[in-house]
Amino acid sequence: MLRLSSVSKVYHVRPFSVLSSLKASTAPKGGNSHKGNGSHHVEVKCENMDEAQRAYLDRVIRVDQAGELGANYIYAGQIFILSEKHPNLKPILNHMWEQEIHHHNTFNTLQLKHRVRPSLITPFWKAGAFIMGSGTAFISPEAAMACTEAVETVIGGHYNEQLRCLNNQYDLKRTDGSEGQSDEVKSLMSVIKQFRDDELEHLDTAIAHDSRKAVPYILLTEGIKAVCRTAIWTAERY
Amino acid sequence: MLKNFVPKRTAFGLTRFYHPNPKEYVPQLTLPPLLYGKDSKQYKILSHSLDVSVPEFGFNERAIVNSINLLGYPSSILSVIGSSNTPSFLHSSTALMELLKFNLVAKRYQLSEDIPLDTPVEELPSLEDLLIKRLKMDVPIGPHLSQLIAQLSIPGPFLTDTSLPELHRLADDMIYFSSEKDHPDFAWYAKRMGVSTAYMSSKLFMAQDRSPGYVDTFEFAKDKLKRIMKLGDYYNNAEEYAWYVLMNSINMAKSKAARG
Ligand SMILES: [Fe+2]
Ligand SMILES: [Fe+2]
Repeated sequence: MLRLSSVSKVYHVRPFSVLSSLKASTAPKGGNSHKGNGSHHVEVKCENMDEAQRAYLDRVIRVDQAGELGANYIYAGQIFILSEKHPNLKPILNHMWEQEIHHHNTFNTLQLKHRVRPSLITPFWKAGAFIMGSGTAFISPEAAMACTEAVETVIGGHYNEQLRCLNNQYDLKRTDGSEGQSDEVKSLMSVIKQFRDDELEHLDTAIAHDSRKAVPYILLTEGIKAVCRTAIWTAERY
Repeated sequence: MLKNFVPKRTAFGLTRFYHPNPKEYVPQLTLPPLLYGKDSKQYKILSHSLDVSVPEFGFNERAIVNSINLLGYPSSILSVIGSSNTPSFLHSSTALMELLKFNLVAKRYQLSEDIPLDTPVEELPSLEDLLIKRLKMDVPIGPHLSQLIAQLSIPGPFLTDTSLPELHRLADDMIYFSSEKDHPDFAWYAKRMGVSTAYMSSKLFMAQDRSPGYVDTFEFAKDKLKRIMKLGDYYNNAEEYAWYVLMNSINMAKSKAARG
């Protein structure tokens, strides 16, 4: 399923079978004698990911980084507006904001480590998210919560979609004959799972703080959901 | 399902791939975008060409043929060397296109091959070190640089699929393998454009430089890099200033609304 069906450039063609490189690295280490021999540790390696798998991971990290950047700035905007007039909301908003900062930092680290380019229009994401956060907070605290509800609904769904793909499409052959995701893919999945759970918690918090009483609720949430979906589409590509 | 994610175009080097942690995977057999690895005949012939034949003959097919003869390979291997390139009216030979590509790609890999991925930041070379190191790799072909630059910048697919992406990959490698701070936002682009510009203008300077041992080129490169890095600072300052303006206007709107 992962085979590249339309090969447009010659260098997309893998010159040998995937397994030739697996053999190349295991052969000098004494054939299969290392199996069951605990005295000397032979590192198990995975076959290389293909271009489609690497291109998808590139997109995942870029779009998640941009999304968490946006979330970070949305909460910054909400706090900027609400912290004086509604000090009772401040601890709740701050708690969510701190989690977003942690999410954002985690993806910043992954982006630099795996040499993924960030989204080209980060200044626009920063300004847009801040304006969305402060703008809805400006209408009312309930509108701010409706904004959170809409954003977290889309983001939670998007994270689930990524988890499904990472789960299904990254079975790599290993030098010991087993098959499965490499450690870095597994660790990315656990990061995404953790963050998805955080986002769904934010969603519950928003509903608990009367997001559904916001006026005009449908217009706000559907509008913001559409904005988020467009932003995801854009950040994956640019 | 995933096949839709392979980008169709590589224009301007914006198309990128996730870089996996090499420790978890079997070693790669090739040096992408080259189709062969270091142990291949192609690599031996082309690196011999760069070291021995190009300084004598310049960048043309004769240099490759000379190396093929000196290394004792059959002359038919010339067509194997060029086989991955589409013939073009603008380039005289597909083998020569491969030599041009090889010159960029192999030297880019050489730049970082002695820098392990887990090197602590304090021990990494500076950006300036790597820029100078890369320029020094071209000293043996110095007299043929004008010819090289001219061929690399012929408008067409070779420029957009090889020359420009390689330039951006080089800038990216220089930043990644040096102690230079990297960025998660737009400054990421600003810095890469800056390094590419510093490298290209130094290379153009070098092509005209007649000073002994290219000392003037290295001075020029250091100075150019410093000035461009300052420009990057200007960009960051501008973004911060824009934020300051935005916050202020929201504050003003807030106080107006409070007064009614
Ligand atoms: Fe988040
Ligand atoms: Fe969130």
